[in-house]
Amino acid sequence: MATPNVRMEHVTKRFSGHTAVDDMSIEVPSGGIFGLLGPNGAGKSTAIRLIMGILMPDAGKVDLFSTGKHGRHLSERVGYLPEERGLYKKMPVLDHLIFLGQTRGLSRADGRRQGQAWLERLGVADWADKKVEDLSKGMQQKVQFAGAMLHDPELLILDEPFSGLDPVNAQVMKDTVVELAHKGHTIIFSTHVMEQAERMCDRIVIMAKGRKVVDGPLAQVKAESGKRHVALDFSGSRELASGVLADRSLVASVDDFGASAEIELASGADPGRLLSALVACGTGLSRFQVVEPSLQSIFIAKVGAEAAHAARVEVAA
Amino acid sequence: MNANKILSVVRREFVERVHSKAFVITTILVPVLLLIMAVAPMLLMGQSDHTARVAVVDGTSGPLAQQVVKVLRAQKIGTGATAKPRYEITLVPAQGKADSVREQLVDETGFSRASHKGKYDGVLELTADTLSSGKLTYYGSNVSSIKAMAMLQSELSKAFASVRLTQAGISLDTVGKAMRPANLSARRVSEGKLTGQSGSSAFAVAYGMGFLLYIAIISFGARTMTSVIEEKTSRVMEVLVSSLTPFQMLMGKVLGVGSAGLLQMAIWGVSALLISTQASHLAGLFGISQSTLAMLSMLSISGSMVVVFLLYFILGFLLFGALYAAVGSMCNSTQETQQYATVVTVLILIGFLSMFGTIANPTGTLANVMSWIPFFSPFVMPVRWALTSVSSVNLAGSLVLLVIGMWCCVWLAARIYHTGILMFGKKPSWRELWRWIRVS
Repeated sequence: MATPNVRMEHVTKRFSGHTAVDDMSIEVPSGGIFGLLGPNGAGKSTAIRLIMGILMPDAGKVDLFSTGKHGRHLSERVGYLPEERGLYKKMPVLDHLIFLGQTRGLSRADGRRQGQAWLERLGVADWADKKVEDLSKGMQQKVQFAGAMLHDPELLILDEPFSGLDPVNAQVMKDTVVELAHKGHTIIFSTHVMEQAERMCDRIVIMAKGRKVVDGPLAQVKAESGKRHVALDFSGSRELASGVLADRSLVASVDDFGASAEIELASGADPGRLLSALVACGTGLSRFQVVEPSLQSIFIAKVGAEAAHAARVEVAA
Repeated sequence: MNANKILSVVRREFVERVHSKAFVITTILVPVLLLIMAVAPMLLMGQSDHTARVAVVDGTSGPLAQQVVKVLRAQKIGTGATAKPRYEITLVPAQGKADSVREQLVDETGFSRASHKGKYDGVLELTADTLSSGKLTYYGSNVSSIKAMAMLQSELSKAFASVRLTQAGISLDTVGKAMRPANLSARRVSEGKLTGQSGSSAFAVAYGMGFLLYIAIISFGARTMTSVIEEKTSRVMEVLVSSLTPFQMLMGKVLGVGSAGLLQMAIWGVSALLISTQASHLAGLFGISQSTLAMLSMLSISGSMVVVFLLYFILGFLLFGALYAAVGSMCNSTQETQQYATVVTVLILIGFLSMFGTIANPTGTLANVMSWIPFFSPFVMPVRWALTSVSSVNLAGSLVLLVIGMWCCVWLAARIYHTGILMFGKKPSWRELWRWIRVS
């Protein structure tokens, strides 16, 4: 591994009453998409603020690009989208982008050029001269997103970038992030939506209660979980399968989604036996696939069902 | 790099301030008010200055009535070709029957000039013992005008004196010379040099500057505070804080708001100057006689005064603006700021009030002491400079202390800012505030 873009060494941050980040060490290699996962209140935003130098650690140290400095002093090389979105409401959109570019070391002319290019790319170019307050929430998010990437940073840190976006905008955002990663930029993003992270991330860290519980390349994390999973989609009566699913000699646990389910096989159980049992019970199946465990199930196993449930409720809300 | 970032913040603040409705409205409204304030008194004065028709009831036997009539007829309104007589005198001899003549004339007094020709605005009754006792009565519609009555009394006194002196055997020529009045004109001297200001002009300038400083610092200071709160509530703060240091944000904000304030004051200053120098044109425009213009003493402001004023305004604004910004950073709404903003406002008020003391006695102890203290010198020193001569050592010392005080306040404010801008809970107690200052 080349010199890491971000290194946190035994970083602890306490607020009055609780420890938000507890003795956390991570290394984010150069290039690729790095997912910072965890339920709400796990300390993701605090960790990101520590990396950005918005907060100072009580113990340990943060180092970006092996310079010994944190985000604020390297704002020319780092882009940041905070969880709490905010823009100056009275400012025209393009002027706002130029201003954000300037605070990150761009000249006015470069800021204007980049700002226009990004507005076009994100499909809000027609609104360049409108005031921020005249834009819809989704468009404001895009503007803020553009503001974070305006100066073409090597490292882009996005705190919950997809929250509050409709599917179309989320897709645009996702495509942009992936494209940047392909160009060799490093992207760190936090989320509590596991499906998203699973599809995008090269490496993940899962946090719970301020501590790091999982760390590594996604494939390795899945392989190390050492579990075999079966994904099922029901086409017929779901109830007929309940007996089979309750059989502890075949099934260790079920993550039930209603019309589909993810099953963790009991140790030593044969997927073929499960299939024949399911066929025998008469339920209709449209899918039976032996899979690697989903991130969601790893997340539940590591963080605990309670926290995972909280995260799911968040997603639904 | 550092300076560029501050400049970009300054620019943003400036543009946003200048584009705001409040700024545009107040910038236009104040010169309009100034114009009204300059023109209205002229209009009012112009109206009261018309020729008064006065009947003089002569109940005397000597030359007094003749002399009174002569003196009053010599009075003009205005000067030069446009001048018109101040009084239109009708002399009514009434020896022995003064009361009945007077009553008859009073019946014809107090009607408007336009609708009643040949009537009177006032009746002046001279009785037999007026010359010896000095007592006489004026019946008129304009007796409530203090200025008109004072003028009449002063002219009558002159007439009495000259009659008494001639009766005492002094020649008319000598009397004329003796009665020539003194004409005092006051000129201000500063450090051995004539400033070209009259006393009343210096006074007006001192007052004007004091008020301007007070209004500008308190209103723009408060705007700094609310704009910090806005940044907190709109959560722009977190983006800013990821690329700017608290010091850059604080300085940029205070300088940006301050330069918008300077621009506004420059516009006001130029329009005030235009109004005072173009007074004669204005007078023509509003049909006011030239004579009333004498009241509008030209506000002559020297270059050094402008420099002193600007220096104290800029430094004073930086000091108080930084304190206000710090207060804003601690709170989440304007309502919450009360407790801390009051402290800053009281400091400003003390400075403002001691400015009045300075105007009353520019060389006194209060003025001297206050012009050394950083929080108060921005208000006191420019006024002192306008009213009396201040030694260069005194000025330099006061400025140095102000700069030091300002830096201390900015430093303190930046530390509070550092912690405050990301605090969204309840506002801190004084003790917590102290911890912020020590820790950050």
